[in-house]
Amino acid sequence: MSNEVIVMKNISKQFKVLNRHEGLKGSIQDLFSRDYKIIKAVDDVSLTVNKGEIIGYLGPNGAGKSTTIKIMTGVLEPSAGEIFVDGRMPYKDRTANSENIGVVFGQRSQLWWNLPLIESFNLLRNIYLVPEKDYRNMLELYRSLVDLEPILHKPVRQMSLGQRTLSDILAAFLHNPGIVFLDEPTIGLDVSMKARIRELIRGLNEVKGTTVILTTHDMGDVDALCKRIIIIDKGRKIYDNDIEHLKSYFGSYRTLRMRLGDDSWVEQVIDEKKTDVMHVMQEMQKEHKIKDIQLQEISTEEVIRKIYEGGESA
Amino acid sequence: MEMKTAKKRGLSFYLSIYKKILAQDLKSKMSYRADFFISTFGMVLTNISGFITFIILFHNFPSVNGWDYHHMLFLYGFSLIALTPVQCFFDNNWNLRFMVRSGDFIKYCFRPINVFFYFISEVFDVKGLGQFVFGLGTFIYAWAHIGIPVTVVTVAEAAIFLITASLFMIALMNFAAATCFWIINSGYVMVIMFRFKDFAKYPSSIFNSVFRFIFTFLIPIAFVAYYPSLVFVTPDHVPLLSWLSPFIGSLFFFLSYKFWMLGVRKYDFTGS
Ligand SMILES: Nc1ncnc2c1ncn2[C@@H]1O[C@H](COP(=O)(O)OP(=O)(O)OP(=O)(O)O)[C@@H](O)[C@H]1O
Ligand SMILES: [Mg+2]
Repeated sequence: MSNEVIVMKNISKQFKVLNRHEGLKGSIQDLFSRDYKIIKAVDDVSLTVNKGEIIGYLGPNGAGKSTTIKIMTGVLEPSAGEIFVDGRMPYKDRTANSENIGVVFGQRSQLWWNLPLIESFNLLRNIYLVPEKDYRNMLELYRSLVDLEPILHKPVRQMSLGQRTLSDILAAFLHNPGIVFLDEPTIGLDVSMKARIRELIRGLNEVKGTTVILTTHDMGDVDALCKRIIIIDKGRKIYDNDIEHLKSYFGSYRTLRMRLGDDSWVEQVIDEKKTDVMHVMQEMQKEHKIKDIQLQEISTEEVIRKIYEGGESA
Repeated sequence: MEMKTAKKRGLSFYLSIYKKILAQDLKSKMSYRADFFISTFGMVLTNISGFITFIILFHNFPSVNGWDYHHMLFLYGFSLIALTPVQCFFDNNWNLRFMVRSGDFIKYCFRPINVFFYFISEVFDVKGLGQFVFGLGTFIYAWAHIGIPVTVVTVAEAAIFLITASLFMIALMNFAAATCFWIINSGYVMVIMFRFKDFAKYPSSIFNSVFRFIFTFLIPIAFVAYYPSLVFVTPDHVPLLSWLSPFIGSLFFFLSYKFWMLGVRKYDFTGS
């Protein structure tokens, strides 16, 4: 018995993209062109995911997050490397793999556009051959986690973006899959909807023990849900560890704010690996009177920004 | 690690899913009553105008290549019926290229069911039903006038030949739609392919040998009505191609399905 639900070994994915030319002459040229550019969307990534984890899969735009998820769900074949999801190779065995996963791609609803949500649920129950009793229990669980009534009988096309996202997440968990992939589920949502969606994901993960792979650009999602994060940049994995560890891994930054004699505030970001707070204050006191201080932890957001901006060696 | 064995999903599974989607879809369409009636009305008008054109054209030319007025009507009715399924059940092919370009197509690949089925089952076009009723009326009227006997055998034959004849147009549209997995301007391919259906209602013998060859072996539009109709219209000399048409139709459909699925596998799924 193993706890590893996803094992990826040296996975790469390359796309061959035609260098297009302009104009009519160009498009005729393109028909016969061999002028390709190779894009390495995922570059030699290895990772393992354990059962029941919620993993934040992060990286700047174009880093290769969605491509990785497409490989894990079996819709894309990796160019190189080995991948096992629940012991299967997803691309070779897409149908069997999809039995045990749920997927949400933010802003792309997978529900039947014209049908009320409850009818979409019903169809999914039939498609996944979910026993009646499990289905009822799941709906009960949903009711305990979110307010279902306002959306249950509404056609998806009439829903707000937030309601649609909520519905899509519920639909992804409906057949009680072992793993759920959420690609930017909170994109475009307001603060309170984001909070409800986070609560829902956490609730489902706790009750059902579902493994969740979450990509997002919102560090609020990460802080609320993930213990472990994986960061990729330009297709390569650059970080894979606990979120607490992250702050010290890339330097343990804190911001020291001091109120001086003239009541003005000055700020200094301190890397505690290099200098400590007391030292900075002492230096300051030589020239100024300090009336008050504040010490702020650097937010995940700021750390991530430093990493994205290339400060990984900081 | 526990391996769940893949669940069995056979023909009866797919039929029952299709029935459920269809019922739900119709229910929601009915709720847009005005839209529903206007589109049905539009379809009836289109059919009537097509029919009137046809009558004017052929009533004054009592015989075309040995085909008299009622034979022509039979062919016309046959083609309308055989062209109904592509319209009613496979209309979503028209949306394929948009979904592929935008990346929305990916959603069909996350379910443990056949991707082609899942995609095609999503749209049922009611408008095609008007054409069906119209075609059936014409077909029965012509059948009676020609004096084709009504026996278990002829009725069963009619059913089999009509159903398999419909596969040709479906397959052509599958091929045309699936080109979008490789080329950008696949819309033209679809429109051109769809235009060919207009040739289905004429006896192939009125075309010159080049077109006859094309419509038989390259773009087999002559199998939509002409070849299968010969089984009923000239029962004494039925060409071999007419008898083979159900098998050719099934094979052609199968190949188009394989081509469509190959496109899905080759496709890179653009879009985040
Ligand atoms: N089908 C494709 N064909 C060609 N290039 C692609 C394709 N899909 C993705 N790419 C490229 O691969 C790289 C990684 O894309 P991917 O969508 O995985 O990034 P991402 O991390 O999800 O970004 P975002 O945060 O913007 O969603 C990008 O440079 C993208 O342009
Ligand atoms: Mg993405």
